[in-house]
Amino acid sequence: MTASLLRKLGLALAATVALQLTGCATPMGAPQASIDNTTKLRAAAIAPASLGSFTIAPGKAAGMDQGVSLRGTKVHSPYNESFSQYLKETLRVELDAAGLLDPASQAVISGTLTDSEADAAIGTGTAKLGARFVVTRGQTVAYDRTLQADASWESSFVGAVAIPLAAGQYQGLYRKLAGQLFDDPEFRKALARPAL
Amino acid sequence: MSTAFARTLRRAAVATLMAGSALLTGCASFYVDTATRDVPVAQLKKVAAPKPVAFSFEFKSRGAPNPRATEFLQAQVRDQVAGSGLFSAVNGGSDSARLNVELNNVPKEGENAFGKGFVTGLTFGVAGNVVTDLYECKITYLPPGQGAPLVTTARHAIHTSMGATGEPANAVKSANMEDAIRTMTRQIVANALNDLSQQATFN
Repeated sequence: MTASLLRKLGLALAATVALQLTGCATPMGAPQASIDNTTKLRAAAIAPASLGSFTIAPGKAAGMDQGVSLRGTKVHSPYNESFSQYLKETLRVELDAAGLLDPASQAVISGTLTDSEADAAIGTGTAKLGARFVVTRGQTVAYDRTLQADASWESSFVGAVAIPLAAGQYQGLYRKLAGQLFDDPEFRKALARPAL
Repeated sequence: MSTAFARTLRRAAVATLMAGSALLTGCASFYVDTATRDVPVAQLKKVAAPKPVAFSFEFKSRGAPNPRATEFLQAQVRDQVAGSGLFSAVNGGSDSARLNVELNNVPKEGENAFGKGFVTGLTFGVAGNVVTDLYECKITYLPPGQGAPLVTTARHAIHTSMGATGEPANAVKSANMEDAIRTMTRQIVANALNDLSQQATFN
């Protein structure tokens, strides 16, 4: 009985310490509208848009949509464990904060995730994110472009420091990519308010 | 599983969590720098007709989003902004003004916090060290419509002493790390809000 109790206690202690020291999967935080993107969108004089489907690009491995591994810690999206859904949610909060989200709009923004990588390597960490954005109005394609955002940063050799920082850097790319889209003159043209 | 055994396991887990936390934090004391101090609400320039604002807050570490720290401090900062008297509400819609509070933890130039802590740990605390964490607060107020944003900033610091070392100058000791972070946050946000209230074009 004592041996069994000790064994169970040992297992519980080991599991607790392991949880404290590592943590094997980390969800990203919910996207927030950035003030920079709200400023851009409010100044862009574009019409409200709706959001269509967001998926992983054809031919890409499903794993690319499900997570990135940072020294063995999986960082994943809180939305169906799908980065393409995280990208959609990022656009949703950005457009909504600027008063430019209208589910009934005929202008529909869709996206496919083309690239998603992060590396918390010792020395320099790197991350990149790519997506193809398409704006349609009925059967007409008004915009179709693939954009890519990347980041690099000083990365500690201590995992407890490097992993959260890399996760934050990767998460920040979604906002950066959305900012690139909002900056694109062709995107603005595709969603331009009709002349009065 | 008996109740007594479950209780034993629970106690063991709690004890381990505490022990683990102590190991992770080490034997450290936390001090809030005194260069940035509290600003009483009464000192803020009064707004004749406060308007609603859509509030947002984000904590960043070296410029990258830090969701856990954001969640930890969000309610505190929201309550502080709501209680400032500068706005009628902090849950404005997309057609209202926006107020974004960003708190960024940046390393002190040339300082290697882990290296210092490692040396202190290696010498069992004999080689004491003080590590300084710098914080930058940026408040951006975006008026409704297409108005230009107003930006105010403030800086603050938390000093952490490890091992056998003297207390840092110009700093007040906090009871623990959470107390230091909450005090720093309150003071730095108060200063940035005060600067915002003094802007001629604000509201």
